[in-house]
Amino acid sequence: MTAIIETEKLTKSYGTQRGVVDLDLTVEQGEVFGFLGPNGAGKSTTIRCLLGLLRPTAGAIHVFGLDAVLDGVPIRRRLAYAPGELRLPERLTAAEFISSISRLRGGFDVARRDQLAERLQLDLHRPMKELSSGNRRKVVLVLAFLANAELLVLDEPTGGLDPLMQRECVDLLREARDAGATVFLSSHVLSEVQRVADRVAVLREGTVVASGTMADFVGRARSHVEVFFEDAPPTAELTALPGLVNPLVIGQRFTATLSGPIGPLLTLLAQHRVASMLVEEPDLEEAFLDLYGGGKP
Amino acid sequence: MSSLQLELVAGPLRSMRRAIVWWSVGMTALVALTLVFWPIFKGSTGITDALNHLPSGVLAAFGLQDFGSPSGYLRANLYEILVPILLVAVAVTLVGGQTASEEAGGRLELYLAQPVRRPAVYLGRAVAAFIGLLVVALVLTIAQVAMDAVVNLPIDLGNLASTILLDIVLATFFGSLAFAIACARPRPSVVIGAGIELAVLSYMVVALFSFSSALEPWSQLSPWSWALAGNPLEHGADLWRFVALAVSSILLVLLGLRAVARRDIAAG
Repeated sequence: MTAIIETEKLTKSYGTQRGVVDLDLTVEQGEVFGFLGPNGAGKSTTIRCLLGLLRPTAGAIHVFGLDAVLDGVPIRRRLAYAPGELRLPERLTAAEFISSISRLRGGFDVARRDQLAERLQLDLHRPMKELSSGNRRKVVLVLAFLANAELLVLDEPTGGLDPLMQRECVDLLREARDAGATVFLSSHVLSEVQRVADRVAVLREGTVVASGTMADFVGRARSHVEVFFEDAPPTAELTALPGLVNPLVIGQRFTATLSGPIGPLLTLLAQHRVASMLVEEPDLEEAFLDLYGGGKP
Repeated sequence: MSSLQLELVAGPLRSMRRAIVWWSVGMTALVALTLVFWPIFKGSTGITDALNHLPSGVLAAFGLQDFGSPSGYLRANLYEILVPILLVAVAVTLVGGQTASEEAGGRLELYLAQPVRRPAVYLGRAVAAFIGLLVVALVLTIAQVAMDAVVNLPIDLGNLASTILLDIVLATFFGSLAFAIACARPRPSVVIGAGIELAVLSYMVVALFSFSSALEPWSQLSPWSWALAGNPLEHGADLWRFVALAVSSILLVLLGLRAVARRDIAAG
């Protein structure tokens, strides 16, 4: 495999504050790499170093084998970026803005632009100041997918989109990967990454605290489960289930933490009268720490 | 010029077109309003005599010498202080708005994420601001010549052109200074405030130092003195005045480009 992005002990400090510390990452060609972490963890700092907008304090960052500090132009020619913060020129329409960027990149395919706008239901002819955050997100997504880049760097790409458009975005992302692109997908939302990522790294306070393949993770993460029964909960049967820990029964409400597959629980519940059920999204950091025993990768 | 280079200038120009229009309207109104009163002061020796009772330093500081003559009237009302400082404001606000304000607002990030060199993006914005300044100055010139004809104010067109060109290079100098500051530190209030305040300070040096024979020679260090100390409306301008300001401006721009290539881009 060829490394498309490679950081070696990448450190970026802002005065006394540290953005990222000794970050080691490798993103292989053709994969969708999920870069997860809470806000302020250092995801955007890493991306801005990758784009050449920030100069690393120490360490190195290579993209396509080129130095991100010295070879910014050839690197950026081969990548497309959709920022998380949607600060776009207010007075331009989406079409004018896309045309402006197009001229900087040597031209975009107008038919493809219209096709992407149609798929994302974006009106290209409204001024940016009239667009909702969801529609602004679509503008940067159209720009990113229009470039036919070898590397897509997407920061919170589905933020502000409705579920239908989120699905469309994921489809576009899969199509790009199928066409050979590598995707660096930064997000603080596990479900966003879970749908498409091949590998994931979790960042906390500027350091990678866990990483692994998505396949390792899915189905083994801890989730909080809450079930309301129409009758008394079958406590004995529930507590005997493998993977259910910390069971708690209050009246007709049963709560527990589930690690591992949900299948046995669903099979059991199907035999009882269940009023409602809630499975909360697992805490991604805890899940990875569980998976890897709390140590760094 | 490639389409990329063209876009680096044309893009910012498109976004500053409203500002250019409003500055041009304001300049035209200023010239028209000032020239409308020329017939009242035309050939008036009374006002000139009255002003001549003021200390010579005050007359020099505010350009009030020979107020009743065409060149004296234009100098005192427009070209000694008001027009130069307004053109400085045009240059500084346009360049500051396109560089420091855009970067601090996070709106440069998507442009800088494209395959373009950072200094090229900044230089394109400086060139766009310079073109904006030229457009405003051109409108000002047209308004001036037209109003001169309307109110019958005879002025040497060569000297008028020299004066306005000196105003342009003076504004370019302070615009370049603002650009260099923006390239080093993209804080809009600092860039615009420093650009205009330093221009006012350089005028004050010329105006106030003339009251002291000890300080007066030092006033020649002020860019304002390089541009306008020779009363170009009356006497025309020496070439060195244009060259000194133009070369200084180019040096400031080069310093700025060097600084912006070496620093981090603000997150917005």
